[in-house]
Amino acid sequence: MISTSNLSKAYNGIKVLNIENLDIPKGQSFGLVGNNGAGKTTYFSLLLDLIQPSTGHIKSKDILVNESEDWKPYTSSFIDESFLIGYLTAEEYFYFIGELRDQNKSDVDALVSQFEDFFHGEILGQKKYLRDLSKGNQKKAGIVAALIGNPEVIILDEPFANLDPTTQIRLKSIIKDLAEKQGVTVLISSHDLMHITDVCERIVVLEKGEIVKDLQTSEATLKELEQHFAG
Amino acid sequence: MIKHFLKLEWKQFFRASYFQKGLAIKILLVFGAIYFGGSALMLGVGLFFIIKKTFPEADPIIMVNNYLVYWILFELMLRYFMQQLPVMNIKPLMAIPIKRNTVIHYLLGKTTISFFNFISLFLFLPFSVVLLFKGYPVSNVLIWFFALMCIAMSINFLNFLINKSNVVFYGIATVLVALIGLKYFNVYDASEPFGVVFNSLYNQPFLAIIPFSLMIVLYYINFKFIRKGFYLDDAVSKKIKEVNATDLSWMNRFGKVAPFLKNDIKMITRNARPKQVVMMSFLFLFYGLFFFTQKIYIEEMPYLLGFASIFITGGFLLSFGQLVPSWDSEYYKLLMSQNIPYRQYLESKWYLMVFAVIVAFILSTPYLYFGMDIYLIIAAGALFNIGLNTFITLFGGALNRVPIELDTKAKAFSNTNGFNPTQLLIALPKMILPIIIFFIPYHFISFNAGIITLALSGVIGIVFKNFFLNKIEQVYQKGKYKTIAAFSEKK
Repeated sequence: MISTSNLSKAYNGIKVLNIENLDIPKGQSFGLVGNNGAGKTTYFSLLLDLIQPSTGHIKSKDILVNESEDWKPYTSSFIDESFLIGYLTAEEYFYFIGELRDQNKSDVDALVSQFEDFFHGEILGQKKYLRDLSKGNQKKAGIVAALIGNPEVIILDEPFANLDPTTQIRLKSIIKDLAEKQGVTVLISSHDLMHITDVCERIVVLEKGEIVKDLQTSEATLKELEQHFAG
Repeated sequence: MIKHFLKLEWKQFFRASYFQKGLAIKILLVFGAIYFGGSALMLGVGLFFIIKKTFPEADPIIMVNNYLVYWILFELMLRYFMQQLPVMNIKPLMAIPIKRNTVIHYLLGKTTISFFNFISLFLFLPFSVVLLFKGYPVSNVLIWFFALMCIAMSINFLNFLINKSNVVFYGIATVLVALIGLKYFNVYDASEPFGVVFNSLYNQPFLAIIPFSLMIVLYYINFKFIRKGFYLDDAVSKKIKEVNATDLSWMNRFGKVAPFLKNDIKMITRNARPKQVVMMSFLFLFYGLFFFTQKIYIEEMPYLLGFASIFITGGFLLSFGQLVPSWDSEYYKLLMSQNIPYRQYLESKWYLMVFAVIVAFILSTPYLYFGMDIYLIIAAGALFNIGLNTFITLFGGALNRVPIELDTKAKAFSNTNGFNPTQLLIALPKMILPIIIFFIPYHFISFNAGIITLALSGVIGIVFKNFFLNKIEQVYQKGKYKTIAAFSEKK
């Protein structure tokens, strides 16, 4: 589904990301971990063509993401608050995204209604602009908006941060469901090793822009990760 | 304590992003400040002699006093637009052991050195000096000047109290327009009765106690007000208003650009900054009055009429359009990674500007009062705006990479959002082009030929709309990464 080759990104001659080869098959739930500055967000930004690669390229379904825009219809993402439109209410925001992805109001309503317990009654019908919601609630709205329009690839940067424990647990089941039952390729990053090992079939550890571990998740994975980051 | 505050202030000023922008902008800003300060100074010095020359029998001081009421109302309006109480800065100070009263006194004290207070100072100080030189009684002049400064300060503090309410603003604007209108049509002259008030300030120096106490009282009310709201959930944080979703589904008839159009309408109506721009562009409608009321422009420099007509219908186009990608800077990454063709995004902005020009053109119908020629030239200007200016403006926007904080009002001289030399360069053709297009056929053929050519140039633009939009789209595509990077920079 997504193949990365010889990809690197440098700012002022300093390499912040350098990935020789990384293939993510369709329907995989893929996790990216690493300390601050390891290059997680940089990789996701390259994947979304928000920054320009210094060398190499990423192909999504054999489409070069930095040359064609044809990957956009089946890719959706929530990276940070700049993916929200602050002056819209949550519903208006969902409908806007829906319109961009050729979904009518009732399609959007049908999808969003599945996430009522995820929203915990704090998103819909609030009569508040997104900019006036708390960080956690903003994140909930952003994540659900990324699910609109049956995307085949979903990219979420640190989806667990700022969420309350109940919502974190609900989010985990949503993500698992997407990959296992619907065959969606899900890419997430996280600082929470527990959550990411729970959710992802495969975990890649980045350090200073390089891949240092590439693990198929098993019983031993959490231990291994903890040891890696402790040392 | 004050020393620490001043230190913070110093750092805030010199480390602010606008200050660290290019040298060219700094120079331009300094020039701007000198220009405005200088004009006020010149006016202050010259005022006495201008009045003496135009109205030889009148006493300049009485004349000035008579018109002071207009000035005060105008100043109040100007401040409403531009000046805001700097509340956000006190947030980090709340948790530190500093007496609240000290912080508030400092905050209010700081507003006394605002740019707006200097306008009055620069205007009335030289005027008073001239009065003294002309042998007016020293104590009267000095205390009159003092009273005026107290009034300026009172306006300063009053503004913070009324700033939150639009009703007050429209009230004041209506009063001002009504007073000017009544005077213009010789129905009622408000200057005399109000003049009596200000003249007695001059004649009876002890009356200066009134504006002085007014200033103290307003200061005190402000103090109380801030003291009461000195909690995180009150004055400091923004008020969260209950909102209702707006249904704009009737706009769906615009097809593919509809989602963007709907979004833009919401953006404009729900954020402070674009609202301010819309109000400003409304004022552009009156720009023609400067030109059409003066015979000299109509008879000797008619090519400038083309220039004026651009502004009458193009207020929104010019002030909104020049910041086109910036309006969406807060969520630009979303737009860039969503399923959006750039072309539709630009086209919706184009429709918005065209719509604004049409509305402005309809509103400009009263200009018929100045004759059919004037009205036709406004119509030709509107066509030029729709057909060419929209594209020039959109093109200019591609070179503009300054992020905008949507829900913060622009402040005078403290916010250079969207202000850069490229912007000035791109502004030139918008203004000079219509003059040239109008002038050449006017000069060689006739006035009507000028109008027709100006209108035709707009029609040609509309015909080649797709071509222009494609070209502009390419420019936007090319600058995509740079724009994203610039917009995600933290201020």
